[in-house]
Amino acid sequence: MSMIDTSAQPTAKATEVTDPSGTSRRRRRRRRARVTEQAPQHLRAHLTAYLMITPMVVLLGIFVVWPLVYAFYLSFFEMSFYKDAEFVGFDFYKYVLTDPEFYDSLLVGLKFALMVVPTILVLALLLASFLATLSKRMAAFMKTTVYVPAVVSSVVAAIIFVFIYQDEGFANWFIGLFGQGPLAWLNTATTALPAVAVPAIWLGFGVSTLIMLAGILDIPESYFESAKLDGANFWQRTRYITIPSLRNVILFLLVSGLTLTIQEFQLPLVMTNGGPVNATNTPNLYIFNSFRDATPYATSYSLTAALLLFIVIGTISLIIFRVVSSEKSSDA
Amino acid sequence: MRQRRLRIVAATAVAALLVLAGCSSNSATSGSSGENGGPAEITFWQSQFEPYQQKWFKTYVDKFNASQTDVKVKYQVVPGDTWQQKLKAAQAAGTQPDVATTNYGGIPAGVTNGQFAQLDGMLPDKAWSDIKSNVAGFVQVGGKHYAYPMLVEPSTVLYYRTDLVKAAGLDPNAPPKTWDELLTWAEKLTKGKVKGMTIASVAPDLGWSSWGLQYNACGHLPINDDWSAANAKDPCYTKLFELYQTLFQKGWIPQQPKVGYPDATPYGQGQVAMMANGSWAVGQLKQTFPTMIKNTAVAPFPSVDGDPGKPTSTLGGWTLTVDAKSKHKQAAAKFIEYLLAGDPAIMADFFRQSGFSKYTVRTSVDQALASDPAATSDPFMKIITDKVVATGKAEPAYPFDVSLAFATAIESVMKGKADIPAATQKASDAIDRVIKQQRLKGTAPKG
Repeated sequence: MSMIDTSAQPTAKATEVTDPSGTSRRRRRRRRARVTEQAPQHLRAHLTAYLMITPMVVLLGIFVVWPLVYAFYLSFFEMSFYKDAEFVGFDFYKYVLTDPEFYDSLLVGLKFALMVVPTILVLALLLASFLATLSKRMAAFMKTTVYVPAVVSSVVAAIIFVFIYQDEGFANWFIGLFGQGPLAWLNTATTALPAVAVPAIWLGFGVSTLIMLAGILDIPESYFESAKLDGANFWQRTRYITIPSLRNVILFLLVSGLTLTIQEFQLPLVMTNGGPVNATNTPNLYIFNSFRDATPYATSYSLTAALLLFIVIGTISLIIFRVVSSEKSSDA
Repeated sequence: MRQRRLRIVAATAVAALLVLAGCSSNSATSGSSGENGGPAEITFWQSQFEPYQQKWFKTYVDKFNASQTDVKVKYQVVPGDTWQQKLKAAQAAGTQPDVATTNYGGIPAGVTNGQFAQLDGMLPDKAWSDIKSNVAGFVQVGGKHYAYPMLVEPSTVLYYRTDLVKAAGLDPNAPPKTWDELLTWAEKLTKGKVKGMTIASVAPDLGWSSWGLQYNACGHLPINDDWSAANAKDPCYTKLFELYQTLFQKGWIPQQPKVGYPDATPYGQGQVAMMANGSWAVGQLKQTFPTMIKNTAVAPFPSVDGDPGKPTSTLGGWTLTVDAKSKHKQAAAKFIEYLLAGDPAIMADFFRQSGFSKYTVRTSVDQALASDPAATSDPFMKIITDKVVATGKAEPAYPFDVSLAFATAIESVMKGKADIPAATQKASDAIDRVIKQQRLKGTAPKG
């Protein structure tokens, strides 16, 4: 196609020079029409779309793709801001991959995500199902209430929860009612990670509930009505109508939730600084703390660890997409 | 139509480039020179310390700027927990400060990395000869000076409440001498909501605050002198592990400390009867909890076997360094000379404001303070100078990863995550890994 286009070009110019009369304009118009027809159908149809995304692609290219490529390049060097970088090949990959603390942090991140994400999904599903049954005014009020934690800064939430977990805090007062405690919630290896997971759930379930609610409201009412006529109870309606119809919504929440929570950083930083004995040392916190050292080694090490984390999280997302394949929902 | 689209694309690309150009042309002029007649402008980053220190720095930076027209100092306070990120970002962008606060432990690694300018010849000889002999080595690498010292502060001193000690039937004039006696005191002083004492209990704090006690227990740190192999499994460390383990597991120290080791607030608020803390805590007590002073006594931290001649503390402290890439090294040195090495009255004012909770590094400043009754009558200063600073060791110069590995072992034992042999084995492996990966073998500073 393009060959025909280019070959047509000089002829057109020649015609224009030799024949300055009105005929050249007509020919040009005809030729342009022919060129447009000759461009592939899909390109013509999407040209506006491509134009619209161009600024974003350019910005992503500059701020994401290029830094990523450059970061991979730099990971083969021990970087110093004062001396020439020294080429070390795969040394830093070897260092990170043989460091037990890197794996420990990945495990902590996974455990944390497994505590937070399923809990959020179940809570959000239940709450969204409940909200869908409310009157408009009541639902609006409840939606706002549910969403409020999402606008609280996670640093503020972390500090509030640190107070809750103090020796004389709310959590110990509460278990004291049952004759238990007091517990050192944030300084005991077994309770520290669940204690950090609670504010993460509190912060995250508002948004998930609203997204699920939007999904539920999209399910045709007739499904539920006919199920009710057939005598299906709430659990059966949830099991056979709501969940299958929300498949893509749940998949989205699962993938985005997992990738976000594995990377949780602020809550453990403020609440425990990764302790006790690395029990809440999430991957990002681990990378952050290795970056804080002043040596050139630390800079290259944390860069490489960050790239490996990128690969790990990408792989996890890929596995989830494979296992729970995204399909068009049943009513589409 | 097509041409219009192309024009839109071109316009967008140009706009994006303009935005980028705007972003990138930020601080290329920072630290710019005064070659065309104006003063040489230098930037100075100070790590954030106690509030009185910021006040002192600001006062004397302003006075320096007003006193001459050759150098203009731009002063910036940087919080300690963001220091490294901010500094590295600035180094990558070439906008790092000309002068920065650097602790003694950071000097050898920084010199290896080529980060600091050599200061010999930039400051007068009498400035160097004024430095006390026990500190002179802290700012030198290979016989060359790379920093000018400001102060020393011992990392570990024992503070105790004389009123509570008396009430528990103990003698406030005979503080504990051994670790066993310390444990007895901690047990007897733990009453109701008041815990026996505070001491570091998380690895990042234990990493540096236990250096003195590591020396005390074994006479060495958990690495060979030439940094060729780990030395963490030495059985002499057992007593050290047991000290921390007993204090934590018996509940004689707070189980969930609200603040880090260097913060004296729990002691100031009466939540604990004893406190292991650096000498800087004296300043905090005097300024924030003045009523606590009359019931407070200080003593050297007990020794493993009661020998008062063994070190219990490292002498940490701060210096000013000049960046190797600074365009105005001489101007930066001039500022350092004014602030730290010139008129002794300036540093004497600093120590006065610190409540004599930090210690001088210059003979001339000692002389300036000798005639100050507030300094000579201070109840804590003499004990700390004679019994703690005198036996104090220099901070180790190896990467903090080594300290953190050993501190993680202490924390694991404290919190029941591992027994002593397993924890020390893990620390030993981690230290050996650091030695290999960071190529430490044979790089230990001499002397």
